[in-house]
Amino acid sequence: MFFRSNKIIFVLLLIISTITISNAKNDNFKVALTGKYPPFSMYDSHGNLAGFDVDVSKAIADKLDKKLILIATQWDAILPGLLTGKYDVIIGSMAVTKERSKKVNFSDPYYESGAQLFIHKRSANSIKSINDCTDKRIGVVLGETFAQFLRNKHPGIERVTYKSTVDIFNDLDNGRISGFVSDKLLGMYQIKKSKRKFIPTGELLFKEQMAIPVNKNNKILLQEVNKALSEMRESGELQQLFDKWFSNNSVKQKQTSIKRITIIKLFVKGFGLTLLVAFLSIIIGFLLAVPGGLILNNKKITGNKVIRAVNDLFRGTPVLIQLFFVYFGIGGLLSQKFGINLSAITAAIFTLSINAAAYMSEVVRSGLMSVPMGQKYAAKAIGFNKWQIFSLVIWPQAFRIALPPLMNSVVALIKDTALISVITVPEIIRQAQSVISITFDPIKYYLIVALMFYLITFPLMKFSAILEKQIKEKGFGNA
Amino acid sequence: MLKIENLSYKYPDGTVGLKKVSMEIPLERTFVILGESGSGKTTFLRCLGKFIIPQSGSVFYYDEDIKNMDNKKFRQTIGIIFQRLYLFPHMTILKNMSLGPIKILKRDRKETEKEAYNMLERLGIPELAENYPSQISGGQAQRAAIARGLMMHPKIMLLDEPTSALDLKTTNDLAEWLKELNEKTTFIAVTHDIPFAKKVAQHGICLNKGEISSSGDIKKIASHMSSANY
Repeated sequence: MFFRSNKIIFVLLLIISTITISNAKNDNFKVALTGKYPPFSMYDSHGNLAGFDVDVSKAIADKLDKKLILIATQWDAILPGLLTGKYDVIIGSMAVTKERSKKVNFSDPYYESGAQLFIHKRSANSIKSINDCTDKRIGVVLGETFAQFLRNKHPGIERVTYKSTVDIFNDLDNGRISGFVSDKLLGMYQIKKSKRKFIPTGELLFKEQMAIPVNKNNKILLQEVNKALSEMRESGELQQLFDKWFSNNSVKQKQTSIKRITIIKLFVKGFGLTLLVAFLSIIIGFLLAVPGGLILNNKKITGNKVIRAVNDLFRGTPVLIQLFFVYFGIGGLLSQKFGINLSAITAAIFTLSINAAAYMSEVVRSGLMSVPMGQKYAAKAIGFNKWQIFSLVIWPQAFRIALPPLMNSVVALIKDTALISVITVPEIIRQAQSVISITFDPIKYYLIVALMFYLITFPLMKFSAILEKQIKEKGFGNA
Repeated sequence: MLKIENLSYKYPDGTVGLKKVSMEIPLERTFVILGESGSGKTTFLRCLGKFIIPQSGSVFYYDEDIKNMDNKKFRQTIGIIFQRLYLFPHMTILKNMSLGPIKILKRDRKETEKEAYNMLERLGIPELAENYPSQISGGQAQRAAIARGLMMHPKIMLLDEPTSALDLKTTNDLAEWLKELNEKTTFIAVTHDIPFAKKVAQHGICLNKGEISSSGDIKKIASHMSSANY
């Protein structure tokens, strides 16, 4: 379900970066971060965003005299979001690179860190530095600067990209990789937190400067942010914040543990949202699918080809890409041309509805097709008019035939909602990821999520099986 | 009286279905249309039922051209039961029968269902009322389909090969049954089953390659047909 390659994101970026965004003046300061990068950004025991980046965001918002709005976004979607104007800045420990600087303007750095190779204690004797890693598998988090560094400076190393540090840790424990490259501060923090037997080895690979990217055409905001940062640096506020999180074991359990009740709340909220999005998409999708299926079933009707094309497009491309295009592409266009803000949930419901309609209309079409023509003749012979023939005779049979496959579409759609986390919708997968970034226990929490989905989909699948049996017994669809 | 004048029908692929068929069908008794398969008898029936439109010629119900009848009136004048019956599988037999009168004739549901039940009783199959079409036998389905057609009280009812799915006993039952029902509705049956034709009717025609090859008394037609190596 996740991107495996930077290329896709890069292509998306290219397409989307052609859309420029005019930032309407307002009093909100919208800041994006991942919420999954402790101790820079994460959820505290009350389910609120906290961390060094969050504190810096608050301080800058104060200086700018604006209201802070934090938006939690997937790391690999965070730049496209900025380019399409979903938020004003990213304060998410983003390192300054040449490539990124082509697309955005970076503020002055607000802290420095460096890339560090970490290995498992058991290989302490065999791996002394990055130079011992040639032909070995080394993990990096997707979208960060480390992958590029390794590719350029150590091409002999086999890079393995991961969605999150948690996955890297598990694979290092299991011996699937020999080590990983991560931010030194972050790595030390996460290793300690998850009680792993990993150690840093060798010198820092390079130093990184973390800064705040701002949209290229938003020069004023860039100046304001730089001014705020320099004031904070001079007054010592920035150092205070840094010390709060990183000096001498300042990492307190209190700030990074998460209460069970908070987890339950996050999961319930997330799953509620998942079900809401799924429910609305199914309803809208079905309402579109009925006329869609009718038109598809009749080649003479104008619009047949249009619906055919839309269906093929939506069924033949990944939902993930569709979500990106609708949210960043269409969403960017709407905000640019009409000043309409397409929210992530609306974009998700829109995309999933069309998707559901594409699949369901095919099911409706085949349901209509499997009603024998003779049924129409017999109804006509009795004297029913066209509408009565359809509503009393054809549709009730077509619908019964279509119901089991429709149920399958419903199940598939409910599972597809897991994808909408990539466009920042705080549904169940995203909530689980936040919890996992603190607890470092992916197996347990993903199992719980899987179970929640199963509790909903299992009865639907059973229901579908029973219906199918009944329909066979009643002899629908037989001439 | 049903008057047919110069009825011709050609299929889209050029095959001749009917060639200038003219005749009069009196509406007092059951009438049969005999013929081999491919003789044009089903085509003829479908023209009478307005399921296909002849390229030339007309059909008159007394003085009225059926072309000019509105749909509702026409379907109450001429009903048709297809060879494959096409009972609606999602409804019970009772619902199959009462749906037309309720929705088309706007009749009261309870009264209609009562009438349908009475008809089933009269036909000796009241136990079928609450059954679905998939639950009944071929002979029962044939009766149920005719009963459904009769609920609309047509003056004429066209039957396409009513005995094709029936064994000898049920064929005989059906013949008896049609005789009883003959009072209010005239049956015009297309069949290649000569013994059945002899049982239900005295008069008929025989079609051959889209033309009337003989007409009149069934027994004569039958002997003519058997001599033609039918």
